[in-house]
Amino acid sequence: MASDTPKASGQAEPPRLLLVTRSPPYGSSLARSALDTALAAAAFDMAPALLFLDHGVLQLLPQQEGAASETRSHGKVLDSLPLYDIDRIYVDAAALLHFGLQDMPLPAAAEVVDSTGIRALLEGCDHILSF
Amino acid sequence: MNYALLVLAPPGSASRAALGFARAACARGHQLERVFFLDRGVENGMGTAVAPQGERDLPAQWAQLASEQGVELVLCISSAIRRGLLDATEAQRHEKVGPTVAPGFTIGGLGLLVETCTDCERLLTFGEGC
Amino acid sequence: MILHTLNASPGSTAFDHCLAQVAADDGLLLMGNAVYAALANAPALARLRATGARLHVLEDDARTAGVTPQMSEDVLAIDFDAFVALSEQHARQVAWF
Repeated sequence: MASDTPKASGQAEPPRLLLVTRSPPYGSSLARSALDTALAAAAFDMAPALLFLDHGVLQLLPQQEGAASETRSHGKVLDSLPLYDIDRIYVDAAALLHFGLQDMPLPAAAEVVDSTGIRALLEGCDHILSF
Repeated sequence: MNYALLVLAPPGSASRAALGFARAACARGHQLERVFFLDRGVENGMGTAVAPQGERDLPAQWAQLASEQGVELVLCISSAIRRGLLDATEAQRHEKVGPTVAPGFTIGGLGLLVETCTDCERLLTFGEGC
Repeated sequence: MILHTLNASPGSTAFDHCLAQVAADDGLLLMGNAVYAALANAPALARLRATGARLHVLEDDARTAGVTPQMSEDVLAIDFDAFVALSEQHARQVAWF
């Protein structure tokens, strides 16, 4: 596949890519790198899925105010995911409970998954990238 | 098999493991077209870093792999420039001292990582925790 | 079958989350700060054994850490060639760090 032709549709089914993100949104840039990779994968029609595990669920807190510390809002990037047709978003149920966030409103596309569901995701994709 | 590696770890045990893995994969006859360095992983391509005495010079060893096996070493552009890793073009564009990227490494977009993912049969991530 | 590469010290959340996802037919490779779980008397080792997965440790990292002389016989020390062989046997890898 040529690097200047991001569209792969119409040919073979693109491999499904699962991005596992375990980091909190601020403090390091790892969570942001995961989302940037998801956006790039979507631009190449890879139809990436995102799995928020462990501290990664903290990325989903609504009403983040990046301006409060002159940083880019992670929440704004998350809000943009549907625009890029990233509509498979999975959230670790145990982590939500661990942080007392079980009642938090989640992105419309998000599905809360338990340990069995996480295993099924890891087994069901072609490739995994861990962040 | 076709392999692709994503290195998120800065110079340290995980990036040494990535290098060891890359060498062994090539030695076992696998194809390794590209290693993509993202986030703190780009620090492996810092040309102005000086390894302490008795420690490996990781950028030089990666570069050796690149020249011997034809492996492309790509530093994510947005991760790189925010950390002062600039090639000649970026140094000029941002009017900074440079180039600071080690020989053997290039700077490129995340599309190159995605492209590698579509082509490979095995994809491994190397990261370093706290 | 998944290859789990674990690079986080016993007691970290990455370590715990990895163990929660390891199945009996998976491969597990301890590297970096996870090599301390290979110590023969480490409480973490019992948890690793309970997963039923085949346990490996990256030999270079275990020796660097001083773990090798006290290492459990249940954990196989491997070099990079064997690490690549593990990746050949498992279609997917999850890196826990």
